[in-house]
Amino acid sequence: MRNKKVHISIIIIFIIIIGVSFYYIFRDSISNSIKLGLDLKGGTQIILRPTWSGEEEIPSEYLEETTRIIRERIDRLGVSEPLVTRDSLNNFIIQLPGVKDPDTAKEVIGKTAELEFRLVAGTLISIDEQGWDVVQFDYEEGKLTGISDDKKVLLINDINKFIAGESFEVIAELLTDTESGELLLVEYEEEGDRESTGEETDKEGNSGADSEVIIDPEKVIGKLIYDPETREMLVFDYEEENVEGEILVDSRTGAATLVEPVLLTGKDLAKAVAGYDSYGAIRIALSFKDEGVEKFAEVTSKNIGRNLAIVLDEKIESSPYIKVPIDDGEAEITGIDSIEEAKNIEIVLQLGALPVTLHSEESSTVGPTLGMDSLNKGIYAGVAGFILIIIFMVSYYRGLGAVSALNLIIYIIIFWGIIAGIGAALTLPGIAGIILTIGMAVDANVIIFERIKEEILKEKSPRIAVGDGFKNALRTIVDSNVTTLITAAALYRFGTGPIKGFALTLGLGVIISMVISLLFTRSVLFLMSGVPRIATPGFLGVRKRSSA
Amino acid sequence: MKLKNYNFNFIGKRNVWFIISLAVIIIGVAGFFIRGGFNLGIDFLGGSLIEVEFERNVNVAEIREVMDDLGYGNAVLQRVETDLLQAESDRFIIRIKAKELGTPITTEEKNDILNSLDEKIGLTGEPLQDRTVDPGFGKQITRNALMAIGISIIGILIYVWIRFEFRFGAAAILALFHDVLVTLGVYAILNREINTSTIAALLTIIGYSLNDTIVVFDRIRENTHLAGKLGYIRVVNDSVNATLSRSINTSVTTLFPVILLLILGTSALKDFALALTIGIVSGTYSSIFFASPILVAWNNRFPRYKK
Repeated sequence: MRNKKVHISIIIIFIIIIGVSFYYIFRDSISNSIKLGLDLKGGTQIILRPTWSGEEEIPSEYLEETTRIIRERIDRLGVSEPLVTRDSLNNFIIQLPGVKDPDTAKEVIGKTAELEFRLVAGTLISIDEQGWDVVQFDYEEGKLTGISDDKKVLLINDINKFIAGESFEVIAELLTDTESGELLLVEYEEEGDRESTGEETDKEGNSGADSEVIIDPEKVIGKLIYDPETREMLVFDYEEENVEGEILVDSRTGAATLVEPVLLTGKDLAKAVAGYDSYGAIRIALSFKDEGVEKFAEVTSKNIGRNLAIVLDEKIESSPYIKVPIDDGEAEITGIDSIEEAKNIEIVLQLGALPVTLHSEESSTVGPTLGMDSLNKGIYAGVAGFILIIIFMVSYYRGLGAVSALNLIIYIIIFWGIIAGIGAALTLPGIAGIILTIGMAVDANVIIFERIKEEILKEKSPRIAVGDGFKNALRTIVDSNVTTLITAAALYRFGTGPIKGFALTLGLGVIISMVISLLFTRSVLFLMSGVPRIATPGFLGVRKRSSA
Repeated sequence: MKLKNYNFNFIGKRNVWFIISLAVIIIGVAGFFIRGGFNLGIDFLGGSLIEVEFERNVNVAEIREVMDDLGYGNAVLQRVETDLLQAESDRFIIRIKAKELGTPITTEEKNDILNSLDEKIGLTGEPLQDRTVDPGFGKQITRNALMAIGISIIGILIYVWIRFEFRFGAAAILALFHDVLVTLGVYAILNREINTSTIAALLTIIGYSLNDTIVVFDRIRENTHLAGKLGYIRVVNDSVNATLSRSINTSVTTLFPVILLLILGTSALKDFALALTIGIVSGTYSSIFFASPILVAWNNRFPRYKK
């Protein structure tokens, strides 16, 4: 009687597990219960391999930092639910659901972390009687924002001095050409003169409809042109022949800042170290390579009193003031909020300085139609295979076959529940893995049933036959499944991409089916074997012919 | 002592089975050389694959003409197999291997191909899928796959050695090579493309083949104590017979969904299902006709139990 209680509790535990599985399956809605991989729902996957100039392996913190940079760059693309992971070979796997064109993404991601040193020409601010604000630049739209009616947009040479109330210089005013709609930087005229032209700019940076701007070409300093391909706002001369500078965003103030062309890059950098200076302030000490030392000395000696922007990935990280010529090739970035941030910048600088380049290994785009087609056909094959297996099992093993059908249904529910619960994405090879495990899940049953039949043929009572059959089958099932698990584990550990998804479903399937067969089926059969009307040799699939 | 339902003489004719296995493998190897190697897909060689759907029914010659005009005379064109219920599809997979061009085609070249196909024949819309793989990546994948195979084989050998005897492990691994060689041979003869799905399938065959062999070996291990009385040959033969219905039933139930996938699936699923079908049939065959006879041959050569 004690045994009976154990078996009943095992069955109750399984009923609870099934209940939990149903919870996960129906948590949102049944059709959303399983996340689909890109090969099923459609989208683009890009695999990038990192390489660097060093002899030894790429340090893991560099790879982590690169992952972070890739994420930031993808965020700029505005893709929903992007996924950036690394495989066992340190390749970066980037998944972009719904994206049909891998090239823009590759371009944005594939750049090395770029470090540039450029002189600051000035900062754009909008100003009126009430006060002032910085003008912001939206890389994606290519628009200057924060401009409103009745406000003047000015380019001032030193935002810090402006804030501090010290003397500053207005270099130019940003005006819109009424005819062409072009944004022009024009030599700044005194208040009185400007009033007479009656021009004003509105939010879009266009002139008011009823106003008129007369711009003297002689006074135009630069023309702002946005290139949606590269997402750069370049400043040209009036004839549009030469690039005079670029509008960048200052990462601390968010201000649109005009910088001059690149003077030095990360390639000129020898080392970057985050730490504290002698006063305890956070800084990053930079040192240049030989050529860089010379260039840096030249730049600093010619531009005393100006600000030098340190630009990382098109964002100004810091813009120190040049006090004296620096001829020893040592510089520092200051004004950083935390030591963690300084460490991050250090890594990015090192990445830029030691050119870690990302090489596109594979890019694949799957349209949503093809993905759904694969999914549907996989489901058809699975359902039809399931029905055939049940027909076969019931006709061969009779009552035991019905138990294995129950087994298989529970297997599918628990498998589904676990996949939904852990949030693993189902991929095409994953479907193949599931379909295979459906077939293999029956194997444990077949082994048990064959053993039980053998015991029945030895003229044992059904109750004893079930017990002995299980005992004999246990070792066989464990040994055969462990070998499959070893394969699944090796595949999961060393496999890449699709192979990994397949290994997961295979391994999971083997474990679930083993647990169900050895616990649930066992208890069900034990309880059934206690009921004389059910526990007949015929029910156990033994035909009279073979027992003769 | 009754060990069996069936009583076939598997072991007595073991040389016949060895010759059959050898012949199948030799045919595969011959196929490999006649075809000049495997038909490796872009996953290994690098290149591009585009799947497109045409607005109307086209034949290969029409597409070939467009591709020739663009200078892609070597492109491989394949009509996508649809399921049995549908008429011939208007979908094609176009493969341009990097081998023939040095590097994979660029985005511009790809767009040129799509535009030309659209102008001259007419496409229904965006490509259904579109993949580009760098030639170097295939090497990485191959190396990794081989590493996964090597490690799982070592792991299994150790496990079987601990649980059984060394000779069981060795015989199981030989059976596994048998199944992989048979599957690869069929691929060489049919000139089917080998891609990542095929590799995953081969790895599965390894798992399945072992699983199947171990169940038979388990019975031999269980009956080995009778070798002194009945002789090892008899013990092995009776054990194979005793597990025969399990071997057949398991392969039948596993084959049901796999064959349905072969019939109903999309091209990628079909690739996978074909390798599995061959592997499961070969795996079942090798457990009975190859791995178990090896144990007997081994014992004849290095006697441990009474023959």
